[in-house]
Amino acid sequence: MARPKSRNRQRMELLEREQFLGDLESLFGDLAGGSGRFVLVSGEAGIGKTSLVERFTEAHKKEARIYWGGCDALFTPRPLGPLYDIASQTQSNLLALLDEEAPRASIFAAVFNELKDGRAPVIVVIEDAHWADEATLDLLKFLGRRINRTTSMLIVTYRDDEVGADHPLRLVLGDLSHRSIVRLRLPPLSESAVDRLAADAGRRTEDLYAVTGGNPFFVTEALASRESGVPITVRDAVLSRAARISLASRAVLEIVSLVPAKTEMWLLDDAIAPDTAALEECVSAGMLRYEGEAIAFRHELARRALEDSIAVPHRQRLHELVLKALLNRGGEALLARIVHHAAQAGDSAAVLKHAPVAARQAAAFNAHRESASHYQTALQYADRLTPEERARLLECRSYECYLTNQGDQAVQARREALEIWSQVGDEARQGDNLRWMSRLGWWVGRKPEAESYAIEAVAVLENLPPGPELAMAYSNRAQLHMLADEHQQAVLWGTRAIELAVKLGATETLVHALNNAGTAELISHDEQGRIKLEESLRLALANSFQEHAARAFTNLASTAVRYRNYHLAMRYLDDGIAYTSEHDMDSLTLYLRACLARAHFEQGDWDSASDDAEFVLKHYGVSAITRIPALAVLGHLRVRRGDPDAARLLAEAHELAMHTQELQRIAPVASALAESAWLKGDLEQLLDQARFVLKMAKGHDDPWLQGEFAFWIWRAGGTMETQERIAAPFALQISGDWRAAAKAWNEIGCPYEEAMALAEGNESAQLAALEIFERLGAGPATERLRHTLRATGVRGIPRGPRPSTKENPVGLTSRQMEVLALMTDGLANAEIAARLFISPKTVDHHVSAILAKLDARTRAEAVSVALQSGLINQNRERPAPK
Amino acid sequence: MPRYIVERSFPEGLGIPVSDEGAEMCRMVVLNNREDNVTWIHSYVSDDGKKTYCAYDAPSPEAIRRTAKRNNLPVDRITEVRVLDPYFYR
Repeated sequence: MARPKSRNRQRMELLEREQFLGDLESLFGDLAGGSGRFVLVSGEAGIGKTSLVERFTEAHKKEARIYWGGCDALFTPRPLGPLYDIASQTQSNLLALLDEEAPRASIFAAVFNELKDGRAPVIVVIEDAHWADEATLDLLKFLGRRINRTTSMLIVTYRDDEVGADHPLRLVLGDLSHRSIVRLRLPPLSESAVDRLAADAGRRTEDLYAVTGGNPFFVTEALASRESGVPITVRDAVLSRAARISLASRAVLEIVSLVPAKTEMWLLDDAIAPDTAALEECVSAGMLRYEGEAIAFRHELARRALEDSIAVPHRQRLHELVLKALLNRGGEALLARIVHHAAQAGDSAAVLKHAPVAARQAAAFNAHRESASHYQTALQYADRLTPEERARLLECRSYECYLTNQGDQAVQARREALEIWSQVGDEARQGDNLRWMSRLGWWVGRKPEAESYAIEAVAVLENLPPGPELAMAYSNRAQLHMLADEHQQAVLWGTRAIELAVKLGATETLVHALNNAGTAELISHDEQGRIKLEESLRLALANSFQEHAARAFTNLASTAVRYRNYHLAMRYLDDGIAYTSEHDMDSLTLYLRACLARAHFEQGDWDSASDDAEFVLKHYGVSAITRIPALAVLGHLRVRRGDPDAARLLAEAHELAMHTQELQRIAPVASALAESAWLKGDLEQLLDQARFVLKMAKGHDDPWLQGEFAFWIWRAGGTMETQERIAAPFALQISGDWRAAAKAWNEIGCPYEEAMALAEGNESAQLAALEIFERLGAGPATERLRHTLRATGVRGIPRGPRPSTKENPVGLTSRQMEVLALMTDGLANAEIAARLFISPKTVDHHVSAILAKLDARTRAEAVSVALQSGLINQNRERPAPK
Repeated sequence: MPRYIVERSFPEGLGIPVSDEGAEMCRMVVLNNREDNVTWIHSYVSDDGKKTYCAYDAPSPEAIRRTAKRNNLPVDRITEVRVLDPYFYR
């Protein structure tokens, strides 16, 4: 069918949007200077987000490349749907990459290259992100973090009234709170603007503003409805407009209303082959508009109004027509749409054929939420499948739910699968599903359940010849024991898993088992564990098992922190954070950052510790396992500083930690609570905390943990209540050798503990302790020691640290001084970032602040000012690089 | 946002001259605070200028400490407070 000539894009006046257009213009002007921007345009449906962006891009279509992509209202959105739209507009190999389901990283990299190739500014518009699939959200996060390195503008529109606190888009936006993000929130029109539109339309309507609330789309529809009064809802307005249209055109409107987003001409022709006049009528009546080779409602609100007005049986028939057209056309890109219309048409054979394929495709793009949803759609029609086929769908659904934090759904699907396999008597599948039930049980916080499933899985699988399922079941048992600090058992099961995995050549299971056994050994002071863990890491990196690599880094780092080996800890943390950040594995980056908070805290770098902990806590949706250590550090820090509100943080940490029943999470919280009790002089509470932990830790060979709580009991005047080994510095202190204890703490690198030991010593040791406490800013400990000194008649107690204003006349912070020092050493920002464990962007901010405060125009000028003024001493000692 | 009283000691005595220089010092403090969403409401200064009691609105005690560091101001103690208005009970 020939396309009618008239484009009929209504060019309505945009009222009260001058300021937003101005903002977009000035951002566009900045692009040439290399400051790419992420612009969020939000507001309710019909507020004019698309109109604003269209007006803006229209003005720049000569000098910029402009790409549009839209998220659609399919029941299960297309994975990377907007990117398919964009790929067909670019000259790049993007479409080929998408069609061959290339790894996500190379697809994202291709998009990024498109944005930064520098030929001309690029404006990418992604519409209706409130409907975005998981892979598209990942893309937004990926681009949002890198956009400032391009000369491009990424404009994302979304309905903020549909994005609740736990909406996945909220998590992405929450992470993007840095300087290259600009937020434009469009308000409704004012009463005078509505009056003007009414006057322009030649109508005076009394309560137009009150009814429409100034929503521009509603106002336009109401004015176009030509009825006497104002229609009460948008729906009434749209339908009254549609009622005036001919029957042939009505048929076009109906079929187009069933297709979310837009309807391609080939689809329309195949489905109902409308004549040109009918199309033309829909367009000139202002209901539809052409968009490239497709036709669409002028607004999604109008499409929904019309769709809802079609009687259900008729609607099903129309969906059948759309489905047939899509199947005739064929192609990977249409899968999600095929499933949508098959389900709406109630065509179970088509759903069962296409939904599992769509699910696998979505998973291949890391759109796991959409994958889980496609499996669910298939399962609704699964009554005509064999039990085995149904069980396999359930297994797939459970796995996709597990990957997307839908714990209860994952458990439910897995339980159904397990029942089916038990009934049909397939022991291998039954055993594997039992092992999964164990994993899921631990993951949703039901530890006893996890343990009994773990045992049952091994029992069932051991009836069969040893296979990969059994190796994984062994490794699962090792993991549960390792997490519960039951090291011997963990090593026992881990070793079985390793042997079997090697025999079967099951590399991934081997990596998993080496990790569990290695971590358990390392925790029980067996250096063989490090060899296993490093081997697990090497294999994981070589095979691109990203989750396993990250887990190896995490266990190496957290074990080193636990045993106060800060030199190793900082190395593993550094490498691990670099690896997980590079792969956008946010939850693991945050967990490692929480470990880093503890390492900084214990080494007396309290400012960095509080930055790390706050960084973790300000993120939305952080898991309890990550939140607990961050809360524990920040709470402990407030206790030591004497800052308010420590109790609230520690109470939350305590509740979360008790829920896990794992000693490694409970102990740090108990330690903070014990110290808080001691500083308040509440010895009962102190003893309660310490005894509770020691009781739980009975039989655990962890000298640092045993030592810490034995020390608190000794502090409170109690008697030794542990039979276990105690780490040397604590043992020395309990035995009264404060001098040796202080020396040991000093060598390990824990100044607060060093001062605690010195405070037990003679007068000069106590004065040295006072100096350390004051340098750290340990208010309550300082007060306490001063009191002791005064009570014993010591004279000449220093009055406290001198204000540092005079030392640093230009007002640089200590962090900025560090950055400046490294600048004078000639380090580039990336090197400074690596040295200080901060992001290059943070270094950028520090450097700008330094230039401003030194009143320097260039880096070189700043360095020369710093050296000439003596702010930085050129012959200072430099710490060895880490 | 919580309100805090921040106690500070200035052994040499605090001197903010009533001049352009003094105005600039206060302006810098306010600017530095803004980065962390910290608002300096006002301060009470002891007669000898050696001790100040400063009222702040801030998201957390850590934010107070970060800005204090940026401004090179000492911190003795941070206390979270609420307003008690005697005339409320009239």
